[in-house]
Amino acid sequence: MTASTVLETRVPPTRAPRRRRLTWAALRRRLAPYVFILPFIAIFALFSVYPMIFTLRLSFTDWRGTGAATWVGLDNYAYLLTNQAFWSSLGNSAVMWLLIVPAQLVIGLLAAVLLNNAKLKMRGFYRTAFIVPFVTPLVAIAQIWIVVFDQNYGPVNDLLGALGLPGIGWLTTSEWAKPTLALLFLWKTTGFAIIILLSGLQSIDASLYEAAELDGASRRRQLWSITVPLVRRTLMFLVVLQTLAVFQMFAEPYVVTKGGPYSSTTTAGLYLYNHITRADLGTGAANSFLLVILVMALSLLFVRLLRAKD
Amino acid sequence: MTTAMHGSQVEETDASGAALRDTASGSQTYLPAASARRRRSRRESSQVGSQVFLMLLTIAFLAPVAWAVVSAFKPAVEIIRDPLGFDPSQFTVDNFVAMFGDVPLASGFLNTAVVLVLKGAITMFFAPLAGYAFAKYDFPGKNVLFGTVLLTLMLPTIVLIIPLLLEMKEFGWVNTYQALILPGAIDAFAIFWMRQVISAVPDELLDAARVDGCGEFGIFWRIVVPVIRPGLAGLAVLTVMNIYNDFVWPVVVTTSDTMQTLQVVLSTLAQNISGNTIGADYATITGELLAASSVALVPLLIIFIVLQKHFINGILAGSVKG
Repeated sequence: MTASTVLETRVPPTRAPRRRRLTWAALRRRLAPYVFILPFIAIFALFSVYPMIFTLRLSFTDWRGTGAATWVGLDNYAYLLTNQAFWSSLGNSAVMWLLIVPAQLVIGLLAAVLLNNAKLKMRGFYRTAFIVPFVTPLVAIAQIWIVVFDQNYGPVNDLLGALGLPGIGWLTTSEWAKPTLALLFLWKTTGFAIIILLSGLQSIDASLYEAAELDGASRRRQLWSITVPLVRRTLMFLVVLQTLAVFQMFAEPYVVTKGGPYSSTTTAGLYLYNHITRADLGTGAANSFLLVILVMALSLLFVRLLRAKD
Repeated sequence: MTTAMHGSQVEETDASGAALRDTASGSQTYLPAASARRRRSRRESSQVGSQVFLMLLTIAFLAPVAWAVVSAFKPAVEIIRDPLGFDPSQFTVDNFVAMFGDVPLASGFLNTAVVLVLKGAITMFFAPLAGYAFAKYDFPGKNVLFGTVLLTLMLPTIVLIIPLLLEMKEFGWVNTYQALILPGAIDAFAIFWMRQVISAVPDELLDAARVDGCGEFGIFWRIVVPVIRPGLAGLAVLTVMNIYNDFVWPVVVTTSDTMQTLQVVLSTLAQNISGNTIGADYATITGELLAASSVALVPLLIIFIVLQKHFINGILAGSVKG
């Protein structure tokens, strides 16, 4: 890279003379990082920290968005934790997680391994094709999903009909709505997973495979014994990233199913949003904190799992 | 096809790098001829298997978009009568014309463009600057500050929405560009990522510049920025994508048609659809829906196709290694 070429021409001189003319330069150097971070801190304090503290306080009150808030202590939390709708929203997100994350790891790893082969024909084309869903706007894709999976007029059921199969209520039955939304999420983000995994694969030393091949290890054996252990970090990174994304999932069910049918696609994120539309802000704030705690606990769990094996 | 053309460029650049890693050529020389031949034929058949799998995946990834764009040019009634067919003689732009009358698409595009340019500029300048501070300086409070960056990464956007919205009301910022631009203008992920990228820049380079009398900001601007250009290109594409696709915050903070971004404008079309699910109305709205989605896809696809080499290499350069 450019860095190394510049390096060769500029040999760092001895540091002795710098110490004498300290003051100004040293002070500036000491202050510089704070100045550089200041804009972030300002925006962060104003639009994240302050709202967070506000949310915490709000979560102990009953407030409808107008008038005075009444202090209710832990009532909002108690209400949520004993509320079936809250638990079913978490359950819906958990099911989505199960439908999305394992499938994504398998498809992503398989595609990345195949793409990592330098002799593969058209690999540039595949890489481009796989990333297209990732760069298409979610709302546009959600709209397309509505039409594609329409029970009466959609092309998917049209295709099934042509094969002599009965049509499916993809978005209109509670059994199918979750998998159909999961498919949307999977479709949208797997290309990104492939690219990330590909970068992990490229850091593996090729001599490991050569040695394995000489020992007569099969391709499958090489995948399990070399590739998977060595990209474990990348896999875990993806799992954490997608766990955060799945439990926050909002736009997909909001646009496509509105959380229905029968709340079957009311994800944790959408359930939280619904408090806003019902102007039940105190409960919404409490819900926010429960979700933050859950998401952080899950992330820490995955990070712990990752560390434990190192 | 344009994508194929760019694809081959990418292929060239990494063929040189990846050739070293290819296991096939090295191992063959050590093996008896017969076994080598057997291996080669096995490899060729697995090449076929790979191609079949990757091709199926490609079709799955491209089909929905391709279908939507093609269908957008069909007469509305045909989309629902014969979803899979296409008759070139019936080619029409009616759906596009109708959609412009139904939703404020032009203002949606304009608002998105304004937000994209301003918010993008803020992120692209301040995120690398903060990343530089975290990567290359030691200072009291560094760990706490970086910890907060990581914390924001984990914080669901939706959690902050209620108080943020109240804050915007307090400021009188509802339905303004400030509200669309400032919250989240410096993305935690961008800082985290820039720190990763800048960590790879050798310290000696910075020290040399310092000795030459370069100021602290000068080092960032004249030394760091040029060196991390691939990482910046990757960040640029990710930033553009995130801002262009942002939905949750704009949908909450804009209530008037004239301030809505493109994604919000688009989502109102879906709301129309839930009310009219039978007959000709359904067909009309479906046609508009597909036309609008196609229009929304185009700018980002163009940006991506133009910058895709930088984008993919940028992600490859900046992401965590296995």
